[in-house]
Amino acid sequence: MLRLCTRLSVSTSILLGMILACGCTNGSSSGTSSGSGTGETTTSSGASTGPVTSRGTIGFSALTLKNPFFKIIADSMTAEGKQHGFEVLVNDAERDVNEQAKHIDNYIAQRVAAIVLNPADRIAIGPAIRKANEAGIPVFTCDLQCAADDVKIAGHIGTDNYQGGRLAGDAMVEALGEAGGEVLILHFKQANSCVLRVQGFNEAIAEVNNRRQNGKIEVVSELEGGGLRDEGFKAASDALQAHQNLRGIFAINDPSALGAWTALKQAEKLDQVTIIGFDGQLEGKQAILEGKIFADPIQFPKKMGVVSVQNILKYIDGEEYEQIELIPTELYKKADAEKDPELQSSPAPAPAPAEVNANPELKNIRFPGAAPTEAEV
Amino acid sequence: MKRFIADNGSVIVLLALCAYYSFVTLGEQHPNTPAAGREVAETILDASPPAPAVVIVSRDTAQDRTFTDAVRQAVESGGGTVLAVVNGAPTDARMALEQVGGAFKQVDAIATNDAASEWGPLQPDRLQQASQKFPGLIGVKVFKPRSYIWPSFLSRENLVNVMNQNAVIAIIAIGMTMVIITAGIDLSVGSLLALCGVTTAVAVQQIAGGANAGTIGLLGACLIGTGVCTLCGVFNGVMVTWFRVPAFVVTLAMMMVARGLALIVAVQYQSALLGGGTEGTPEAVKIEAISFSWLGNGSTGGIPNPILLMLGLYVAAHVVMNRTSFGRYIYAVGGNPEAARLSGVPVFGVLILVYAICGAMAGLAGIVDASRFEGGRPNAGEMYELQVIAAVVVGGTSLAGGEGRIFGTLVGAMIIAVIQNGLNMAGVASYEQKVVFGGLILAAVLLDRFKRQ
Repeated sequence: MLRLCTRLSVSTSILLGMILACGCTNGSSSGTSSGSGTGETTTSSGASTGPVTSRGTIGFSALTLKNPFFKIIADSMTAEGKQHGFEVLVNDAERDVNEQAKHIDNYIAQRVAAIVLNPADRIAIGPAIRKANEAGIPVFTCDLQCAADDVKIAGHIGTDNYQGGRLAGDAMVEALGEAGGEVLILHFKQANSCVLRVQGFNEAIAEVNNRRQNGKIEVVSELEGGGLRDEGFKAASDALQAHQNLRGIFAINDPSALGAWTALKQAEKLDQVTIIGFDGQLEGKQAILEGKIFADPIQFPKKMGVVSVQNILKYIDGEEYEQIELIPTELYKKADAEKDPELQSSPAPAPAPAEVNANPELKNIRFPGAAPTEAEV
Repeated sequence: MKRFIADNGSVIVLLALCAYYSFVTLGEQHPNTPAAGREVAETILDASPPAPAVVIVSRDTAQDRTFTDAVRQAVESGGGTVLAVVNGAPTDARMALEQVGGAFKQVDAIATNDAASEWGPLQPDRLQQASQKFPGLIGVKVFKPRSYIWPSFLSRENLVNVMNQNAVIAIIAIGMTMVIITAGIDLSVGSLLALCGVTTAVAVQQIAGGANAGTIGLLGACLIGTGVCTLCGVFNGVMVTWFRVPAFVVTLAMMMVARGLALIVAVQYQSALLGGGTEGTPEAVKIEAISFSWLGNGSTGGIPNPILLMLGLYVAAHVVMNRTSFGRYIYAVGGNPEAARLSGVPVFGVLILVYAICGAMAGLAGIVDASRFEGGRPNAGEMYELQVIAAVVVGGTSLAGGEGRIFGTLVGAMIIAVIQNGLNMAGVASYEQKVVFGGLILAAVLLDRFKRQ
């Protein structure tokens, strides 16, 4: 027992040492990358040397790095920042505004050049942003907007979520055809972006319903899907019990859409219910290629990361830029997925299309009637 | 020696961590003080032709203003002229330079601090470009204060940050330490924090008068919030004692109930605000009374109020645990409840009171949280119970009960805080942080085992 304990403690301390060391390398690299500290720095007659001069650190407090969407923003921001001489410090708020406020305090103590946020709570983040304002550090928001009073936001780049919701509604109308039917919405009310998506979706559907005598589309339930696979799965399974004739599901992001797909599969209702997702992350695009999801209004996280850095650069250089920029979404369907180089070139998704090819054949043998719908989707 | 290390292991670990991070974060510090401003002015007066013409550039903050004022005074008293003072954004700096340079005035020097020296319009290539259009800028030099080497971890600002950020966890940990010393556990603290925050926020808005709330109204609202949590704590205690339900189960149930109640109150309140037609969203209940944020965001004598509250509570708890019979009863109940009962300790009363204190501490932490974010957040404090238990365990309190020190918990909370702060500053992803914390808790428990053997 004692020997086991000793062994455990040794391995634990080795583990700790390794992690601390990994913190160390990151930390020291940030230290050496800062400029030289002489009193007189530059003269306008001297030529500038070096391809990329260090321009300081950008602190990015991401909403949650467990969602690939924000990881893409972080990665593209890091890459774009590097090109312009910024070091990008990425921290994960894990959806907790308290964590995010801590990050902002740390950025202020570290005297970063700029702060980028996906606000974890659009109002409660206010006091923390005010502190950054008082410290003279520009704050940019990305994807999610801040709605607090008395805060200075230097710039915002995000998705036009309302327009995206309308596109999702149009796609649902197309998928259900003239028959219409019952629709479930998997919501994530905490995020204002999702509230806008659902608003757009509902309005697009209401307009179509107004034009129709019969074959109306009815939203029978709006459930909390948490934006997550497991919660989306639970909510969708419950809804399938309550609404036997469900024909469509609109999920406010890809993970909850895929959760809903699992629920449909368990209930053996894949051919009855069409799923519309949102985001167009790799797993979402993959699912569209495989026919699991009918369509996604896709967002452009890479662009968000890149434009965030460019806006910071323009701010620091004293140039003009668009203070609030909303990128419209685009509808992405199976035909787009088949042409998408992202899905063909990467080695990991390769086996999946093979499955798709294999499935219809099997279906053809067992259920001749069901095969065309499955193949079309 | 061995005994000393075993008894003060956590303090030694904390000091070692501080030393480690000081070493790792050793780097250049850039002063932004009036003294630095005078230094820059003197350098300019020495290096430039007599009576130099100077443009001063810095950001729009209170600290930066003291810097620019010092530069301006020193330059003017040294016989130079100040053409323009910029306290603003990079755009303002560009426009000021273009205006001054375009007016055919010769600019000899630009005085700035480190932050503003990174701005585009002050870079050599940009200045050279600009000088073609604005001849006054030909040959201009940029001056900034000399930097010095010092660990950024050890800056006063950062150390205050570390304590301030984790005051909430440390305050809850007081109650948790007492509960764990009685060999119990309280999983409901995170949810109680949220319940208190939301209740207090609604009370401030509805009872105390919202934006016009006076001090007494605010205190009353806080009392309502903490009172609700204390009652929840009493309920936990009653269940543990009279109904003999294991503490783990009772408080697990309370964790879910309190979280649900917090969400219900918040959603109902938002819905009522919107006229009751639509269902509300689980967003923070906004507190409009401006003075309410004093507790969470204000400071007294240069030290943030949450830290003062935390230290005050720790001293009080230390006195209670070591100088009162109630404190001795807590240890006795945790060590051997049967022996305690036989020697006349009111075991049930002590346990109920301990759970009530734990609830009250969670409530106080909820008020600090609501004050800090100017609203009661129904989602606040998720997973706090585990962070708090980790702080208590790392601080050397035994989960078997009967042993533990209040200040040990404070040290434990600070160890976790320092590690997190260092990893955040270094930009280590939260994935690795979880591994570190898991390993840390394991190591702390192993240390506890060795001490017993």
